[in-house]
Amino acid sequence: MIVGSQKSIDEIWNMVKDFKKVLVFGCNTCVAISHAGGGKEAETIATLLRMRASQEGKSMEVDHTDVMRHCEPEYFEPVMDELKKYDLILSTACGVGVNFLSQRIGKIPVYPGVNTSFYGAVEAPGQFVELCAGCGNCILHLTGGICPVARCSKTLMNGPCGGTNKGKCEIGPEVDCAWYLIVERMKELGTLDKLAEIQPVRNWSTSRDGGPRRVSLEHIRAYEEGEARKSETAGGNK
Amino acid sequence: MSGGPATENKGTHLERAAALKETRPYSPCRAACPVNTDVQAYVGFIAQGRYAEAFEVIRSVNPIASACSVICHHPCEQACRRCSVDEPLSVRHLKRFALEQAADYRRSKRRLIEKTKNKSIGIIGSGPSGLTAANDLADMGYKVTIYERHPVLGGMLATAIPSYRLPREALKEDIDDVISKGIEVKTNCEIGKDVALKDVMAKHDAVLLALGLSLSRSLNIPGVEGQGVLLAIPFLADVAFNKKPDLGNRVLVVGGGNVAMDVARAARRLGIKDVEMVCLESAEEMPAWKWEVDEAVDEGIKIHHRWGPKAVKREGDKVKGLEVTKVLSVFDAERRFSPTFDNNQTTLIEADTIIITIGQMANVKFLKDSPVQVDERGRVTWDPKTQMSSARGVFCSGEVVTGPGSAIAAAASGHRSAIAIHLYLQGEAIEGALPTYQKEKLPELPADVVEKINREPRKKIKHLPAETRCSSFVPFEFGYDELEALEEAGRCRGCAGGAVVDTKKCMACLTCRRVCPYGAPVVQAYSEINPERCQACGLCAPECPAQAISMVSYDVRGPRDTMPEIVGAVDPKRQEPVIVAFLCTHHVGVKGFELPENVRKVPVHCTSRIDVNDLLKAFECGADGVAVVRCGNGSCKYKGVEGRVTARTEHAKKLIAMLGMEAGRIGLLTADAGNGKSYAAACAEFSGRVKEMGLKDAK
Amino acid sequence: MKSGSNLEKVILSGNPAVTAELGPPMSADPHEVIKKANILKGFCDAANITDCQTAVVRISSIAAAALAYREGLEPVMQMTCRDRNRIAIQADLLGAAALGLKNCLCLAGDHQKFSAAGRLKGHPGAKNVYDVDTCQLVGILKKMRDEGLQEGGDPLEAAPKFFVGASWTPMGDPIDFRPVNLLKKVNAGADFIQTQGIYDIELFRSQMEKIRNMGLHERTAILGGIIVPKSAMMLKYMDSSVAGVSVPKALIDRMNKAKAAAGDDKKKMRELQEAEGLKLTVELIHQILETPGVKGVHIQAIEWETAIEGIVKAAGLYPRPTFTE
Repeated sequence: MIVGSQKSIDEIWNMVKDFKKVLVFGCNTCVAISHAGGGKEAETIATLLRMRASQEGKSMEVDHTDVMRHCEPEYFEPVMDELKKYDLILSTACGVGVNFLSQRIGKIPVYPGVNTSFYGAVEAPGQFVELCAGCGNCILHLTGGICPVARCSKTLMNGPCGGTNKGKCEIGPEVDCAWYLIVERMKELGTLDKLAEIQPVRNWSTSRDGGPRRVSLEHIRAYEEGEARKSETAGGNK
Repeated sequence: MSGGPATENKGTHLERAAALKETRPYSPCRAACPVNTDVQAYVGFIAQGRYAEAFEVIRSVNPIASACSVICHHPCEQACRRCSVDEPLSVRHLKRFALEQAADYRRSKRRLIEKTKNKSIGIIGSGPSGLTAANDLADMGYKVTIYERHPVLGGMLATAIPSYRLPREALKEDIDDVISKGIEVKTNCEIGKDVALKDVMAKHDAVLLALGLSLSRSLNIPGVEGQGVLLAIPFLADVAFNKKPDLGNRVLVVGGGNVAMDVARAARRLGIKDVEMVCLESAEEMPAWKWEVDEAVDEGIKIHHRWGPKAVKREGDKVKGLEVTKVLSVFDAERRFSPTFDNNQTTLIEADTIIITIGQMANVKFLKDSPVQVDERGRVTWDPKTQMSSARGVFCSGEVVTGPGSAIAAAASGHRSAIAIHLYLQGEAIEGALPTYQKEKLPELPADVVEKINREPRKKIKHLPAETRCSSFVPFEFGYDELEALEEAGRCRGCAGGAVVDTKKCMACLTCRRVCPYGAPVVQAYSEINPERCQACGLCAPECPAQAISMVSYDVRGPRDTMPEIVGAVDPKRQEPVIVAFLCTHHVGVKGFELPENVRKVPVHCTSRIDVNDLLKAFECGADGVAVVRCGNGSCKYKGVEGRVTARTEHAKKLIAMLGMEAGRIGLLTADAGNGKSYAAACAEFSGRVKEMGLKDAK
Repeated sequence: MKSGSNLEKVILSGNPAVTAELGPPMSADPHEVIKKANILKGFCDAANITDCQTAVVRISSIAAAALAYREGLEPVMQMTCRDRNRIAIQADLLGAAALGLKNCLCLAGDHQKFSAAGRLKGHPGAKNVYDVDTCQLVGILKKMRDEGLQEGGDPLEAAPKFFVGASWTPMGDPIDFRPVNLLKKVNAGADFIQTQGIYDIELFRSQMEKIRNMGLHERTAILGGIIVPKSAMMLKYMDSSVAGVSVPKALIDRMNKAKAAAGDDKKKMRELQEAEGLKLTVELIHQILETPGVKGVHIQAIEWETAIEGIVKAAGLYPRPTFTE
């Protein structure tokens, strides 16, 4: 899932202070799981903003609401008319939601209420850890299921580097060395010999470096586009 | 969009939750009650010191609530899931306490009900079922006339149950509630004597026969006729109306049921020192409630078990005693009543008066030659599916058709009859539309949950000593005082009052699963909180990041949504800080706090229920400081509350710090459980600390 | 000969090779580099010119190497993977070769968070690159040199002829994987290896035994690393905090003893420890060179380049071999 983390109220305040009617718009999927931007946190942010507005002597109306997800339009369409009553939507969805809603809401600005941190897992309650970088070219079968792209500070494909210190990364004793983990895991799996092979220079074009990405499923798109053409020729609205 | 108070929140939370409750298993106490009294709900209110609301819950289904609060056999207690922890909740005494506390409120609520429906119903009999039907029909806007042959209303409650058990003032409260709705009452009006049935039937659009079982059965044994042998019901009526029958020095009561207990114990209170009882059954087999038997024995009543009456022995006219035969068995192999005797073993139990208490039957003489058929055994012919007799428009209710039972069961029958009559008068089908009061209930508490519940013995009720109580008809049971009632009600585990997940909002994040100390949430596609395990502590709801969890027994948003009213107007020139205090109502109740004037109270039934957003809302509404006051001394009713509440207050401190406010404006305090003053002291001390930080907008 | 560098020649000659290190300054002034180059010149076969070591901005390795080269000191330019993608790396390599540089040491580079181990502000918020890693970088250099091709496959009119080096941390953990680590660098094309600083000779020797069993010592020239110790504190710090470095207690004790001999005299304390450090360095040089499979030493006298002359002389490694064209 996508892990979000809260922004400081100062930062949010500076974004919203010149608006009169603000809606804090929560997303009840990933960012809710990471206790950053679900309905509850949206309410918290809305309350803090009203308090801040009162401290600053500003008249500002701040409400909050939430929907299940911001990354599929069907989820926020039912509240679209409500959203349009505001001067500003402070979205506490991940950046996907902010982008997605921005494209669909017309002239109303959509600002980010949380920081989108990473793709991660819930390691323990309240503890989220990055495990994938979405590079678009998965090689986890070669590294014992431990991703060097997401988890090695240097994205090394032929690690470890000389910075491994007692199993930890050179960037800090709280960070596991991914390559230490990979070696230990490959040992456990009895496949350590695979690590002797040099991983060649990577093609990063499947990652962010290749420009904005899109996944298009032909079988679904062919159907949808066919239907769209049909309705066009029929002159009707789908 | 939710900014201020939600507009859809009409009515009380209890009213809003009613429909939801119907879709879920009942708490066993509620399921066991013949009228499905929402015990969990009213005990919950009592535990919070909210007695008027408790009264409303009780009275909403039970028009003979006060009577029940002293005489009910309380099947709710027998069903209480707390039995597997220690002892059942003392529900009946809590009910009594609530009703006594709410007496003024109750009287103030009495209203004439407008007759909106142009139909009238004649109700014959004013016992539990007749009164209940009258109550319900009046509520529906019908004209109701009660015909009662006795000078007072209440049926057996007024004429058979001795006042040491049912004080007449208590009964009067029930009757006044009903009568105040605008019911015509004809007392001293016996059908067939003072007025003809056909006239009653002609006068009303429907008639209800709520006759009860007003005749005592007698024994067909030699010597039974003549003076010195009394029947229970007339005897009890004499007692009820203060006529003191001459009983001699020794009284023998024949029978082993609850009425026999009333008879024997009433006889004791008439000054008879030597009261004995004889019954067919052994102590274990006796139909009387065990506590009644124990109390009778305490009062010096001797019980001869397993003897059957054979003949009344007399010396001349005067009764000498009862000759009895040894009982070999009471029931046959199929557990049917079929006593067998050893005729060789007989004995004489000496007595001056014998009172026969072996059962009752209906007085249906007046139905002879009426359209209402009576079978060969003297029972009114009726259809339980419609509550109607063989005569169209004539309905039946209570023991006359159900046979002997409890007062509350008769009231249930009264409810059914009222609905049946309403449907009949509206020309609607009755069959299938009457409530059965049979509901699915929660199973017993799982063993691992039982382990997590504090052992707290049931608060004992004090009784007058046996020797004192037998000297008069003064009620012998003392009710709870407030502290006792709060403690006892606090033992309730809130079965079926717990957490519910809005599956449209839940995204199965497992937070509730991780928070719950009792393993109640099961999370798959979404979370489902198993009511079998849920203790209704409320720890989960404020943690849910999607705000998908609500509670059956209270409004999780309540504090936030009502915060503007709670805080009220804040005087910018105030000298003392405005403190909003979230106070645990366990042990003290909502009224138990004696707070300084500047402290605004938000009672919460366990601080587990507070949400970070509640604390922030208090500041938003103008509070200078927010205190969360927990009950101390390890008295918390639930597991895991302290750590969670600490984490929440710490989080809230960080959030207000982001607005430049001092973290110290939020205080997590503890007070001595049960000591209202200590809550005040904690708040006052906190208020002083906040004052030093300054008043927010006064700066 | 692959590159014709002095270092390559010394190694081919069978003499123990000596490399040193030159840290460029945080300055646009070339004099510091020139000064240090002249201090080192003649006492080593080549000197590493660090590439923004500890993630601190300094004169670039290539520019400083070119300055040193002008002064007659053979440089080993360094190329980290941290700051450049494959395009920048290859462009810089072409430029470096064009400037006459012949040795290149391939490194992952210290993470940008390092910031001189927190002593400087640095640029912890920088975006790192790591388009390629050390192994892959070695491969790129080899491909450019031997095949005349860029990584992407486009031809080079003139190939850069580098003597390709890589670093190796023989005692880093996971220690049993470190020989494989070296194997990969050698397979990728590393002509020489400079190791992380060695104090624990026993452990180093046991790792070298594995390397010999793999035959790697014959496929690459391993130069054992030595970090010249200045004080007991430095040794302790390296033991506890520097990845892949463990310092035997005996060495720390020796340094402590030297320190104690000074009493309360701060200046003397430093002098005695430095003297003991130099002594220790010479001993380590001998022990490393005595280890079978080792082809030389890489002496790092961090911010203490003046020490090199004495060390090399005391170790009997002076004068350095010279070659006529």
